Amino acid sequence: MLSYILRRIVATLPVMAIVALFVFSLLYIAPGDPAVVIAGDQASPEDVERIRQSLGLDRPFLVQFGSWVWRILHGDLGTSIFTNLPVSAMIGQRLGPTLSLMIVTLLLTIVVAVPLGVVAAWKAGSLIDRVIMGFAVFGFSLPVFVVGYMLAYVFALELEWLPVQGYTPLSSGFWPWLENLILPAIALGCVYIALVARITRAAMLEVLQQDYIRTAKAKGLGQGGILFIHALKNAAVPIVTVIGIGIALLIGGAVVTESVFAIPGLGRLTIDAILRRDYPVIQGIVLLFSFVYVLVNLMIDVIYTLVDPRIRY
Amino acid sequence: MDRRTVLKGLAGAGGLALTGLSAPAIAQGASARTLRFVPQANLANFDPIWGTQYVVRNAAALVWDTLYGIDSSLQPQRQMVESEETTDDGKTWTFKLRSGLKFHDGEPVLAKDVVASLSRWAARDPMGLMIIAIQQELTAVDDRTFKWVLKQPFPKMLYALAKNNAPCSFIMPERIAKTDPFKQITEYVGSGPMKFAKGEWVPGAKAVFEKFTDYVPRQEKASWLAGGKQIMVDRVEWIVMPDPATAAAALQNGEVDWWENPIADLVPVLKKNKNISVDIGDPLGNIGSFRMNHLFAPFNDVRARRAVLMALSQEDYMRAIVGDDDALWKPLPGFFTPDTPVYNDLGGDILKGKRDLDAAKKLLAESGYSGQPVTCLVAQDQPITKAQGDVTADLLKKLGMNVDFVATDWGTVGSRRAAKTPPGQGGWNMFHSWHAGADCITPAAYTAIRANGDKAWFGWPNSPNTEKEITGWFEAKSVDEEKAAIGRVNKAAIEDVVYAPTGFFLTYTAWRKNVSGIAKGPLPFFWGVSKSA
Repeated sequence: MLSYILRRIVATLPVMAIVALFVFSLLYIAPGDPAVVIAGDQASPEDVERIRQSLGLDRPFLVQFGSWVWRILHGDLGTSIFTNLPVSAMIGQRLGPTLSLMIVTLLLTIVVAVPLGVVAAWKAGSLIDRVIMGFAVFGFSLPVFVVGYMLAYVFALELEWLPVQGYTPLSSGFWPWLENLILPAIALGCVYIALVARITRAAMLEVLQQDYIRTAKAKGLGQGGILFIHALKNAAVPIVTVIGIGIALLIGGAVVTESVFAIPGLGRLTIDAILRRDYPVIQGIVLLFSFVYVLVNLMIDVIYTLVDPRIRY
Repeated sequence: MDRRTVLKGLAGAGGLALTGLSAPAIAQGASARTLRFVPQANLANFDPIWGTQYVVRNAAALVWDTLYGIDSSLQPQRQMVESEETTDDGKTWTFKLRSGLKFHDGEPVLAKDVVASLSRWAARDPMGLMIIAIQQELTAVDDRTFKWVLKQPFPKMLYALAKNNAPCSFIMPERIAKTDPFKQITEYVGSGPMKFAKGEWVPGAKAVFEKFTDYVPRQEKASWLAGGKQIMVDRVEWIVMPDPATAAAALQNGEVDWWENPIADLVPVLKKNKNISVDIGDPLGNIGSFRMNHLFAPFNDVRARRAVLMALSQEDYMRAIVGDDDALWKPLPGFFTPDTPVYNDLGGDILKGKRDLDAAKKLLAESGYSGQPVTCLVAQDQPITKAQGDVTADLLKKLGMNVDFVATDWGTVGSRRAAKTPPGQGGWNMFHSWHAGADCITPAAYTAIRANGDKAWFGWPNSPNTEKEITGWFEAKSVDEEKAAIGRVNKAAIEDVVYAPTGFFLTYTAWRKNVSGIAKGPLPFFWGVSKSA
């Protein structure tokens, strides 16, 4: 297993290299110019050109790419064109809020979606099943920002239970931390919950028709034991897979959610960097997201072996 | 006890058990000493000379002081300067600094700091460049005195040093001011009324300013950038909110105290809230505009440009931007900010009265327009440019023009508008923008009115008459002379259609009623603003 994990980690290097080349090329050919944004609306073309030169943006593609790769190989993601701060420091500032949001969303999803899917499969065809699946379709159909605004209106403005916006680090206390994350996590989690609930139901339906389930029932095992110990464990592989794939959904959704709830996370940093054409920051974030995605896939593969001992690498 | 308190109690107890961390107790007094402000945009960098965005200028006005400050009557007033003298020939200016001025690092403000700061500023500022062009020397005479010797008089010297248009001539310590003006500074040490808390800066999310206790305000009453800048709170927190709906909700919920520029759509909601005050933020407002590319057909022919002016309805543009609130806009038959001392709209008849589409079509045909595509750049991520772009597309179609509507983002427009290639090869025919009224009072900082061809702003208008009249304004010695010169500039610029003004519009600002002392002006002034618990 350990050698497999090491092999997989090594295998991520060419993936990351391709991502790096792709991102760099894409930004190079994309329209837009950070020097224009920096110079301001009233700047003369000469001012813009001088800023471009001072940033090294007038150098040939290969020179810029070579120097960027050289820095990456030395563990330096570069410096933001706009803030003059190291990209790694900017990512560090924003990692906490995004990570918090994703963890709370992930936990919320697992706690809500898996039992819903199990119950829907257990009561397949019944009113309960239809209500749960109706909710799943609803959750899937609503854009994150619509859910976000609705939640903020009801729970923040009308009921005044929770804040509208912002982020408080965990070091300031658990409730202040959680208080700011509840609404964003529900908004972000809606699609994810719907997806996981549907997959859980489908996987459970298949497992519940297996002979060993009938045997378990015949032996007089309780419903809870059958569903959550025997059936769910055997249905876990597709559920774990979709939870893993859903991380990509979360990353994409975080961009919108963080804007709606004014959470200073990586999603907002991404949007700001793209709108300003802050190339080093965009490159750093995309590399990070790619790495996280590759890592999550690796973790899923490892979890497979835990939920299904027949799987060996 | 309400639901929220119960939830807080339960979760707090659980959380404390889990983490062992204690929640901070923020006293009422501490909260009242912190003003939470939602700025117009993200403070992405903090060098007011290197980056000339308005948001940077607004933040910089807290941290760095200026030699002179413009007041609400648009007159330059002494700020860091105690006195000034000019020789009879107007070529030598000698300035003396106030005593007791200190930078945030405790060092005194010296004349050598001023010399370095003015040199860096002048390299980036249109008026500064005019001074450099006639400069003989700029030197420190002693610790508190410096001298600017020119080869010819520059009557607008004090205005240049006081103006609020970016870049302002902020004074920095010499070691910082010696930074190349095209490179960003890394230390944010000023002598203004607040210090920048660099450690708490999260670009794109938050910037914090703390009261500078050693600041010595002037004795005069504060008025815009002039007078005694008395800071009434300990901290000012700038909280960046990219989503206007979120900012509106946060203001209603009491999570922020002041929102610089609520969008027109949300103002009715804010006005209904009994805890919120809403008023015009900047009486100098904004001038909507679109620019035509003077280098390429069809707009290289003045008749085509005039045809567009004849047909355009400023009311259509203004309603698209501000909605149905008539208090927020007015027609503008010219290029200069209305209701200012030197305003003059001489020659603006083409923009007044009923629009004559038939005459415009006839004039367009005379210009030789034969149906070629008109590439119209419209940034969709800026509500003002998007609204104007939609109206322009409709206008051009009514004129029988073939519109190539390029829906894109502001970053792309900003880059593409610099291209001097033909529209079909990456260039353009039109793009939309708007100008802060504070920049359009006179030609001093009004880049968009310049018509010196290749050196002009995007669109590269070439109108020797306009340029001649602008020079006339710089030489004017009294308000009456200035006003007459402005009229002549307006007339010449309209005749040659330097650009198309789409009207004058205002924006609101909104704050919670426990905040007082907010002054109307071209930027948010934090001096005199206090907050009760």
